[in-house]
Amino acid sequence: MSTESAIHDSIDTAATTVGSLWPIHSFVTANPLAGFENQPFGEAVTQAADLLGGRGYPSAETFRAALERGQIDPEILDAELSEAGYEDDPEILLDHMANTADATDSDSDTATDRVDQVLTKWLSAFLDEGSAHWSMPNREAGFYTAFRGVAEHDGDIPDEGIITDLPETPSETIETVLAPHPESQWVPIFEEQLAALPGWTGLIKQRADDEGAWQSAYPISLAGYLAARLALLDAVDAAIAPSNTSIDPDPTAELAGAFLRAWEASYRGDLVETVSVESQSLADSDTSGRPDAQMVFCIDTRSEIIRRHIEATGDYETHGYAGFFGVPMEYQGYDTDVSVDACPPILDPQHHVTDVPTDDDTRESHDRLSGIRETADEIIETLEANAATAYGFVETAGSGYGLALAARTLVPGRVQELLDVADDSVPDEHEFCEPLVHHQHTYTGDLPVGLTTDEKVEYAATAFDLMGWETFSRLVVFTGHASETTNNPYDSSLDCGACAGNPGGPNARVLAAICNDTEVRSALRDRGFEIPEDTVFLAGEHNTTTDEVELYDSDVPESHTDDLEQLRADLATARENAAAERAESMRSDASSGVNETERRAADWAETRPEWGLAGNAGFVIGPRELTSGVDLDGRAFLHSYDWSADPDGEALEAILTGPMVVTQWINTQYYFSTVDNAVYGSGSKVTHNPVGNVGVYQGNGGDLMTGLPLQSLMAADDDPYHQPLRLSTVIHAPVDCVNDVLADHAELTDLLDNNWLSLTVVDPTQDHRAFEYEHDLEWSPASELSETDLADPTAPAVSDD
Amino acid sequence: MSGHNSSRTVGSLPDTTADSSLVPVALTWLVWSMFAASIAVLAVRVRTGFVWEIPGAVAIDGLTVLMWVVVTFFSGIVHSYSRRYLAGSRLKTPFFATVFGFTVIVMGLVAANHLALFGALWLAMGLLMAKLIGIVSGWDQAQAAATVARKYFIASSTLLGVALTALWWATGATTVSGLTTASDSLGGPVWLVAAGALVLAAMIQSALIPFHGWLLSSMTAPTPASALMHAGFVNAGGILLTRFAPVISVDPVLMLAIVGVGGASAIGGKLLKSVQTDIKGKLGCSTVGQMGFMIMQAGLGFFGAAITHLILHGFYKAYQFLSAGGQVEHTTPSEGTPHTIGMTTSIVGGVITLLTGLAGGAVFTVLTGKGTHVDSGLLLTFFVVFTTLHAARNAVQHTSLPPAARYGAVPVVFFPAIVIYAAVYTGVSGLMPVSPATTELTLLHGIIAVFFVGIYIGIETGIHERSQRLYVALLNAGQPSADTMLTTTEDYNEY
Repeated sequence: MSTESAIHDSIDTAATTVGSLWPIHSFVTANPLAGFENQPFGEAVTQAADLLGGRGYPSAETFRAALERGQIDPEILDAELSEAGYEDDPEILLDHMANTADATDSDSDTATDRVDQVLTKWLSAFLDEGSAHWSMPNREAGFYTAFRGVAEHDGDIPDEGIITDLPETPSETIETVLAPHPESQWVPIFEEQLAALPGWTGLIKQRADDEGAWQSAYPISLAGYLAARLALLDAVDAAIAPSNTSIDPDPTAELAGAFLRAWEASYRGDLVETVSVESQSLADSDTSGRPDAQMVFCIDTRSEIIRRHIEATGDYETHGYAGFFGVPMEYQGYDTDVSVDACPPILDPQHHVTDVPTDDDTRESHDRLSGIRETADEIIETLEANAATAYGFVETAGSGYGLALAARTLVPGRVQELLDVADDSVPDEHEFCEPLVHHQHTYTGDLPVGLTTDEKVEYAATAFDLMGWETFSRLVVFTGHASETTNNPYDSSLDCGACAGNPGGPNARVLAAICNDTEVRSALRDRGFEIPEDTVFLAGEHNTTTDEVELYDSDVPESHTDDLEQLRADLATARENAAAERAESMRSDASSGVNETERRAADWAETRPEWGLAGNAGFVIGPRELTSGVDLDGRAFLHSYDWSADPDGEALEAILTGPMVVTQWINTQYYFSTVDNAVYGSGSKVTHNPVGNVGVYQGNGGDLMTGLPLQSLMAADDDPYHQPLRLSTVIHAPVDCVNDVLADHAELTDLLDNNWLSLTVVDPTQDHRAFEYEHDLEWSPASELSETDLADPTAPAVSDD
Repeated sequence: MSGHNSSRTVGSLPDTTADSSLVPVALTWLVWSMFAASIAVLAVRVRTGFVWEIPGAVAIDGLTVLMWVVVTFFSGIVHSYSRRYLAGSRLKTPFFATVFGFTVIVMGLVAANHLALFGALWLAMGLLMAKLIGIVSGWDQAQAAATVARKYFIASSTLLGVALTALWWATGATTVSGLTTASDSLGGPVWLVAAGALVLAAMIQSALIPFHGWLLSSMTAPTPASALMHAGFVNAGGILLTRFAPVISVDPVLMLAIVGVGGASAIGGKLLKSVQTDIKGKLGCSTVGQMGFMIMQAGLGFFGAAITHLILHGFYKAYQFLSAGGQVEHTTPSEGTPHTIGMTTSIVGGVITLLTGLAGGAVFTVLTGKGTHVDSGLLLTFFVVFTTLHAARNAVQHTSLPPAARYGAVPVVFFPAIVIYAAVYTGVSGLMPVSPATTELTLLHGIIAVFFVGIYIGIETGIHERSQRLYVALLNAGQPSADTMLTTTEDYNEY
């Protein structure tokens, strides 16, 4: 093996420890410790703490608050503690935990600090996506070459060592700097260097993997970055030998682990019990009949709230399905140059779908008005950019800014109404555009434009299979979701996670169009889906900030007008109730819920427009009836599934390998962002500074912040709203079926065996008893579920306060 | 969390408690009351033209009252905004207390007449702003940034102290107004020390190049504090020069030097901004340029124009900061700011563009009287014409728009805006304690005009972008101070 390939192999190995960071405009909620998932949770957080400096468990105060609020069942806690060998009173143990809280101060080395400063400067210049007017020279040659070009002019770089005459390729540089070190040290050296600026390296890794438009225009690789870094370290004469200090494990980790397990078990026990009880009553009742409408929502935890309120307004059936509606596509809206991946990051898009105008009159009026708006924006930008006009511009426009300043600060609600009126005068794209679903026999990039009939049938059949559908209402609504926030760099973190931080409406429209296709319908009939003639599919979008559900009804025939009117009225009622619940969870007056949520969506001073997926802790896979009787407080992902319609377990396999993995990503992102908001989250929005359209700094600059901001997780600086629990998955299916799926998927048993999430099965074929996954495909009966609980469905909740 | 419907809640989330402190609410009401009172005083002042004073200590003139209105407005906006923006933050109460204290001190500063009082308030203002920069107490980088700022502000206060002492030494006057009457006798080395120190103090305060370091390292401040800093604090340089106008305008050479340093920052700030990638850094560089322009106006003797500029710029910059979170875009590599020179425009388009620009200047001239005589006032009109011209040129080039919009948009939008600017300018000038020192049109004014045209063409053609060396120099000059950068996010642990 040549040295060059040895270097590249070592870099690839070391790079697994780097958590990918997606650009801020398409925030993806991923596990920051994804590279450690092949190890047990406890070991992974210890290693990550050593490399990145982050905490792995909630703090003693967080546990104490949970204990006081009754969220940790004292009995379960006692059991967990004694199993871990702790006999003291929990209060005393928490005091001990708080006192031994690690006082690790990062021993900042001035030489490497200097290297970090030079690198952040050049990385922010190189990775900039259209923010600077004058971008870094020679970017198209790639990072290493561009850096090599500017390094000679940069007075911040000392004229020492290899940097004075950088070799032409990164490999040569790395080879030269590493020459004194044995090959066995290379991987640890790379790991340590990649962990020095985890934000920027995560972005480089993601960008190189994704091969998007910016990467092909201005390529960067981890090798190029490491070459620049090693050359700089050489210049300041910093030692790069891996530190031999053995990992010093957090002395309280084991104790914290016991508290965490008890907290998780308390929540899980409550959830599992509900599912078991309802599973029994579901088997006893016969559910048939045709509901007035069926609505499919994303599995997102926020859907639970609106679904509960919609179900309360009439004979509606709601379902949970992955929010990209099973269509892995790249989507390009009307009049934009940017294509987005509208599917979960674990999948690659298979189709390119564009919005094409179908109504020329509306399109013209849209184009005219949006053209004027764009021109105005562009004129302002050029006026601001030129030194000779910027000052005159500020003088002529200043009074207008003063007025806007006062209006947006003092009467944000009114401003919103005004903007709405202005917005309504410009037709929305969905009013005159339709996604181009039919196969066009052309390609955009590598992707075929549109879908073939076979593919369409496949996506529709998969949807109905996974949700276990047999009946179809007159109206079937696929509801994507999107957030609506103002002045929020993290807005995409509130959009659909299953669509890689994009709105889910376009995917819903594609699936609705597929299902209305007569050719598809007859093919579906051949496959056993009896869709009545009078069933109409339509798409909608749930605004998760205001709980408004907008229906895209342009294709609904007149015969269904009444059904649609009724549904619309009921959605409005559901919205009022859901918004009131939301307003209350945000400490606001519930009586004006709709106004309050609209204010939050539009107010530029609002740092908590909505709670997003904060609170997420559970994932229920099974029929909605199992949970429809209870209020899950927006904490559970819900995927519809009917085990009796899935004899061969294929649907279950698809759910476990797809949605369950994605929910685990989301859950761990929320977990780690909460337990260490500085290292795995992005800190307070109050001092955020967005950079280069790719990320966010805290304050003046440095490394990119990586996860969710404090205000997405905490009700106040010291009061977490999100409860940092690992995901509790509950499946309604026979244990054997679940075991069969797991046996085929080592990536799932790895996650489970390493305790990244828990899995409980409520087995309808075994008397509705619950079984917990232990490890190595072994199960044990759930302990909390005593016979008396089952016999008495009104038993008080274990951790209900 | 229960009570919405009868169903049982599984694993309900905790009820969160509401903010308890009344300080933010009370201070917000108070500052808006002060705004209302300032408006009332302004109305009386416009009607009667009074100057109210405590002899030897405080004098309330037109500039005082005007700045009271401006300062309480910005402070009120920051208070109201922060009540929601800082919800749940443990910084909230100290933040409000500091911002309110800052407001009161600035109001005192613009009213101060005694030299010692003026100097003391100047120092206090700087120290409170440094405190806001480092208000996140456990964050090392924020403390480092506060230290950087504090050093600059103490330097500026020291310079001011030197200047005030020298002036008192030379004239025996203990008040600012006393200096005005005694300024005729000023001159010689003591005056030079005093005037030079005043100008340097103003440059530091307004973050002019080469003293822009503190401003570009100040983004550890909460966003609303940055808004207050860029809309209020930096303006004090202009206020200082206006207050001491009789002292600095003794010698035209010094005024020329002020024009020089202001102009250099006006150009330099824009160039620094062009290579910045972070939003707050861009806004910081933009402020450096805007303050340079404002100081240049003061150097040209247009103190009214300088004050107008700093007020209007305050609106603009406060807005930009408070909306900084909304400026993330998803772009493709092909987009970017095009260099507009070289784009072809039809002759008709060119003529209409030119006429629009001249008409914009005419509107300004008619309303303000600037430009009716061949004097330095022409320069103010020149910038109005130039801006309108550039906007019209851009609009005309958008051939996708219907002709009515292309040719009509700029007059329809710009002319009313120019009318408002002219009105504000006239109103502000009427309140000035010093009359604008319009001078004859000199070669200098011609050079400035030619220089800005040159810069305009340079930026539009992008000719300077051929130099890698310049790019690196600009990028380095725009870097925040090294120890204020968060290169290890683990250090950010205080919230």
